[in-house]
Amino acid sequence: MKVVLSARALTKRFGKREVVSDVSFDLVKGEVFGFLGPNGAGKTTTIRMLTGLARPDRGEIRIAGFDIARDFSKAMSRVGCIVESTDLYPYLTGRENLLHFARMLPNGAESRIPELARLVALESRLDERVATYSLGMRQRLGLAQALLGAPDLLILDEPANGLDPAGIREIRELIRHLASDRGIAVFVSSHLLAEVEQMCDRVAIIHRGRTLAMGPVRELLAKRGADRLIFFARPVARAAEILKTFARDGAARVDGDENVSAEVPREAVPEALAALGSADVRVFGVERQSSTLEELFLEVTGGETV
Amino acid sequence: MKFAPLVENEILKLLKRRRFRVALLILVALNGLIVFAQTQAKDRRPGRDWRIEAQERVARMQNWERSGRLPKTQLRWVRFEIARVQYHLDRNVNPDAVSGPLFARAFANASSYLLLPLLAILFAADIVSSEFAQGTIKLLLTRPVGRARVLSSKFAALVAAITLTVALGGLVAYLFGGLAFGYRGWGAPVLAGFRLSGETFDAAGVRSLPLWEDALLAFGLAWFAALTVGAIAFLTSVVLRSTAAAMGTMLAALIAGTILPRVAPSWEAQRYLFVTNLPLPDYYSGSPPPITGMTLPFSVVVLTIWAVAAAGVAYAVFLRRDVLA
Repeated sequence: MKVVLSARALTKRFGKREVVSDVSFDLVKGEVFGFLGPNGAGKTTTIRMLTGLARPDRGEIRIAGFDIARDFSKAMSRVGCIVESTDLYPYLTGRENLLHFARMLPNGAESRIPELARLVALESRLDERVATYSLGMRQRLGLAQALLGAPDLLILDEPANGLDPAGIREIRELIRHLASDRGIAVFVSSHLLAEVEQMCDRVAIIHRGRTLAMGPVRELLAKRGADRLIFFARPVARAAEILKTFARDGAARVDGDENVSAEVPREAVPEALAALGSADVRVFGVERQSSTLEELFLEVTGGETV
Repeated sequence: MKFAPLVENEILKLLKRRRFRVALLILVALNGLIVFAQTQAKDRRPGRDWRIEAQERVARMQNWERSGRLPKTQLRWVRFEIARVQYHLDRNVNPDAVSGPLFARAFANASSYLLLPLLAILFAADIVSSEFAQGTIKLLLTRPVGRARVLSSKFAALVAAITLTVALGGLVAYLFGGLAFGYRGWGAPVLAGFRLSGETFDAAGVRSLPLWEDALLAFGLAWFAALTVGAIAFLTSVVLRSTAAAMGTMLAALIAGTILPRVAPSWEAQRYLFVTNLPLPDYYSGSPPPITGMTLPFSVVVLTIWAVAAAGVAYAVFLRRDVLA
């Protein structure tokens, strides 16, 4: 597979504090790579280095084979990006914004504007000033801007930030489409586990400037604790006794007078329900509580909290 | 990557914003106000011979001179003015003629040390810092265009905006002045090149030239002064990354420049400050320099050094600094 982005041993210090330490990864054509970590983990600083906004103290970045420190223009002509929020010129229209950034690209970018406006569903509002756009529209315009140069690599910093669920779904679908149908490699940073889970092929988990784990999303997710199930059942004490025998860690927690939770593996759930039924426990409902980023961190760090 | 589209971008951004319209409005309002004020001037009675008015003025100034109550700096100016008006009288040229073209010419002098620098600051203080404030700097610097080219395109746009403003200022002054005093008179002779050598009036360098040539020179000098201020404001915009901070700094400098020569005329080192050197067109029309001994070439050199140094530092900072905004 063709490597589009390669970061080697990136290190950045602010004063004495090392905010990014020895971070390395590769992105290949057509994959969506998640860069997952809590706020302040060094995600944005890493993205600033990838886009040439900040200079790494150590390490090397290559985009489509070009070293960005030496061949900045050649490297950046292969990249589209949104760094932090999508900031565009509010006093210009959507079209003027796109024209502005098209003029900073080699010839031909202007001709892509109609197609991109259609792709991000902004055709009807393209001649209105960006100041009148909603956050979701700005985000989509920012994405159109990032795609103007027909890039091999998209770098998106928290693309779902501030969007409503519908907006998040739209962006997610767009990103999947760009990766699988157009072969664009997409680097996405996020602090939300669910977002990365639904969007990415591979993920790196970053914490305090270091990569804690990296690999296919499914493999990493397998490491996290089993989903916790909450049973609304009476009598609660008998329910807890039975659920203990099915729980992965042999424990069940009673919260309130009809609320028991336990880490029951998926395949054991039917049996657990049957056992509860035959013991005359009345089950009113079951709720799945997905494990959180914090729990995944507990798992990969072996106890160190976020 | 061609350079012209980048400059086009920057000029577009300058023109699309409210501040350019505000600048135009200031030019129109100010010129209108001054013309109106001048037509209301009480001591200018139509039909009187200008020679009599000029002789009366010389007599009045001679009285001040003898009164012994004038401070030294003003005394210098009064003596110079007496000699200048007398010189005009001797050659039968009206020193106080009013016409549209002359009004436009006077605008160059009046605007070179405050109004035009102010407008230059209005554009320059914001040209880099606004990109930081909007966050658009992150997009601008992640395009396949080197930082030096991005900054150069901004500088080119600034030069264009200042040039346009100076030209429009002259045009508006001419249109308003013409409305009140008539549009003809570009060919009228002007006596220029008066100098003060030591304490005495020096007419050796005086020559007569048509008004249009004189006005063109004056506007060229005013443009150069505004450009220098623009370059320094550009630097503050790059370094401070805040429009308000850049504007405040530059305004403080300008104000200091108008006050200093008056309150501390004997402080000689201020001749190396850029603000002291701004009234370039005044040299040309013959006012005494702000500090004794300053000459036009001296001021041009000082301003050039300031502008080049400011641009150099601006580039050095902009090229090296990490963008973390």
